[in-house]
Amino acid sequence: MPAGNASTRPDRAVDSQSGAALREQLARWQRDTLGPDLEAQGEWKGAYTSQSMRWPIKSLYTPVDLEDIGFDYLRDVGFPGEFPYTRATEPNGYRSRLWNMLQTTGFGTGEDSNKRWRYMLDQGLNGLIIEYDLPTTNGYDSDHPLAAGEVCRAGTAIDTLQDMEAALDLPFEKVEYLTSVCNAPQPINLAMIIAALENKGVDPHSLRLQMPNFILVEYTCVGRYIYPPKHGLRIATDVMEYSIRNYPNWVPISIVSAQLYAARANVVQELAFGFAMAIEYLDAILARGFEIDEVAPYFSFITGVDMDFFEAVAKLRAYRKIWARLMRDKYGARTEESLKLNLMGSPGTMSMALQQPLNNIARLGIQMLACAAANGGQAMNIPLHDEAHALPSDEAVAVGAAIQNIVAHETGVTNTTDPFAGSYFVETLTRQIENAVIEEMAKIESMGGALAAIERGYFQKELAREQIERNRAIENGEWKFIGVNYLQREEPEPQIDMFELESEAEQRQITNLRRVKAERDNAAVQEALARVRQVAATKENLMPCMLDAVRVQATHGELCDALRDVYGEYHPDSLTLGV
Amino acid sequence: MARKTRVLLGKMGLDCHTIGVTVLAQALRDAGMEVIYSGLKQTADMIVRTAIQEDVDVVGISSLSGGHMRYLPEVVEGLRAAGAEDKLVICGGVIPERDAVKLKALGVDEVFTMGAETAHIARYINGKMDERPAA
Repeated sequence: MPAGNASTRPDRAVDSQSGAALREQLARWQRDTLGPDLEAQGEWKGAYTSQSMRWPIKSLYTPVDLEDIGFDYLRDVGFPGEFPYTRATEPNGYRSRLWNMLQTTGFGTGEDSNKRWRYMLDQGLNGLIIEYDLPTTNGYDSDHPLAAGEVCRAGTAIDTLQDMEAALDLPFEKVEYLTSVCNAPQPINLAMIIAALENKGVDPHSLRLQMPNFILVEYTCVGRYIYPPKHGLRIATDVMEYSIRNYPNWVPISIVSAQLYAARANVVQELAFGFAMAIEYLDAILARGFEIDEVAPYFSFITGVDMDFFEAVAKLRAYRKIWARLMRDKYGARTEESLKLNLMGSPGTMSMALQQPLNNIARLGIQMLACAAANGGQAMNIPLHDEAHALPSDEAVAVGAAIQNIVAHETGVTNTTDPFAGSYFVETLTRQIENAVIEEMAKIESMGGALAAIERGYFQKELAREQIERNRAIENGEWKFIGVNYLQREEPEPQIDMFELESEAEQRQITNLRRVKAERDNAAVQEALARVRQVAATKENLMPCMLDAVRVQATHGELCDALRDVYGEYHPDSLTLGV
Repeated sequence: MARKTRVLLGKMGLDCHTIGVTVLAQALRDAGMEVIYSGLKQTADMIVRTAIQEDVDVVGISSLSGGHMRYLPEVVEGLRAAGAEDKLVICGGVIPERDAVKLKALGVDEVFTMGAETAHIARYINGKMDERPAA
């Protein structure tokens, strides 16, 4: 290297990395180096786009891209544990503490589930997610005509307090977290959990009960709603208020944007719809006389991560940043606990294929890696690779736990915090997502917010459009899904175990229900139900009367019916449903 | 102009998986059919009543949570009892092969399992409509 050549001096080289000089170099590279290569070989795909947004992805990102978006390190990214928390909410990332490792499961009667949960706790998991069967989540007892064939199938059946006590017969010294997923009938479900813990002598403050209580997503895409949306929101707000006032370490609201994602929301919709719903809940709970910093820390979010690795990484980073700004700028939140997004990342069941189920282990590993690399949360839940086949096997439970531990302990991604920060591509994509989410949120606000958007079917129609698009892309082969529309193999018909468990478990469940009803004090039950109807028509919180009712063995279905008597049932037309 | 083929798509019981039915509704509309969607939590009586009221040619039931062996025979029987057995009855979703065989023996015209292409379903319906004697 000739001495005195100014252009090779390090300080000169640093200067030339930004601005006009770099743009010139980039244009030269495109013309002289990339151009001939494109000329000679072309590209093997017609278009390179991100998975869910279908945004064009460039072949190369450079400092020019950061300059184009006006990237400002302190404003856009900052430091872990500090506003706007883009890098992480914890100052030392996963070096101080790994995420809590969770798995979903639940099937059969309370006693059946209990065996499975004990097995999972023995595998080293410290939290459980309880899923209920469809009759329970739709507010019916197991002997209701609509329940036939569904009892104990998709999760645990809970009709009475006795069922809940059987389900919660757990080694509570190993249980730090318990999540109960029962949106529409949440007050009844919560009352049963509180009463069951009381009867067992378990200190309710010794564990953290998390309830999604996310009825707004049911109206949007899940479908397990009972009452009209505004009543659904009121019931959910009662649960939040009661929980916050009485069990300050419990988490009575989760914005499960993962369900939007499972309904094919793209990442911008997932965040924008989820935040719009969070705003609806925040406004409802603030109207009960709280300050923002008293309630914001209770809001937790569960997000789904799909196969597009960088879209997932950028989404997780944008998620934290948008929440922090929303809290500070819209609500005037001041405490760290309000500004820090409480997030649980989760590889998505939607990217699990029924065909060649072992491939799902690879998918789960990649998705977990994205979660870990982008600080996907203080807790992570992993689906099971064979769950498309209905009942997950014990082996799948063990492999799921192992995937989380392999990512945590073998890959090294947890050694440093937010390792992709500063990447020209990741920072550009993070900003693109952020801008698009903010724009979509403004659109929803102009409609009157999430409740109004649900009532007019906006979310439903937008999701339907994405579902149709996504299906088209699979059918025409534009999006390759290995084993599904690409590299298919002749396989024996997958074993779908949906019919074996039911009849015996269903019968057992119905027999238990009838026995409890025969043995209880019916006059006390009628009185308790009358009281629930009376309270439902006022603005008084429903929780105390629900607790009284479950203690005298009023059933889950009876209590849901008492609310049906007052609020009616919701039957949206197909225009609102977007079908 | 020929009358458009009218299709009722239904979800029965507590099964609330609607992506398949949403995607299929659009595909059938794209193929020139008129599609009516029942909404959730339908019983066989409700499906039969709507099918007759709306004068549909095809009744399609989407079943993803295992209720097909219970609901499909009820729909077929209900249509027969109402004198509407000429309607084409199809179902789709998570349906094991052994159940598909049984359902066809019970009077369901065709069963489409997971991964069936929407264009294939549209072609099947059009083919069946073409076989019908002109009204």
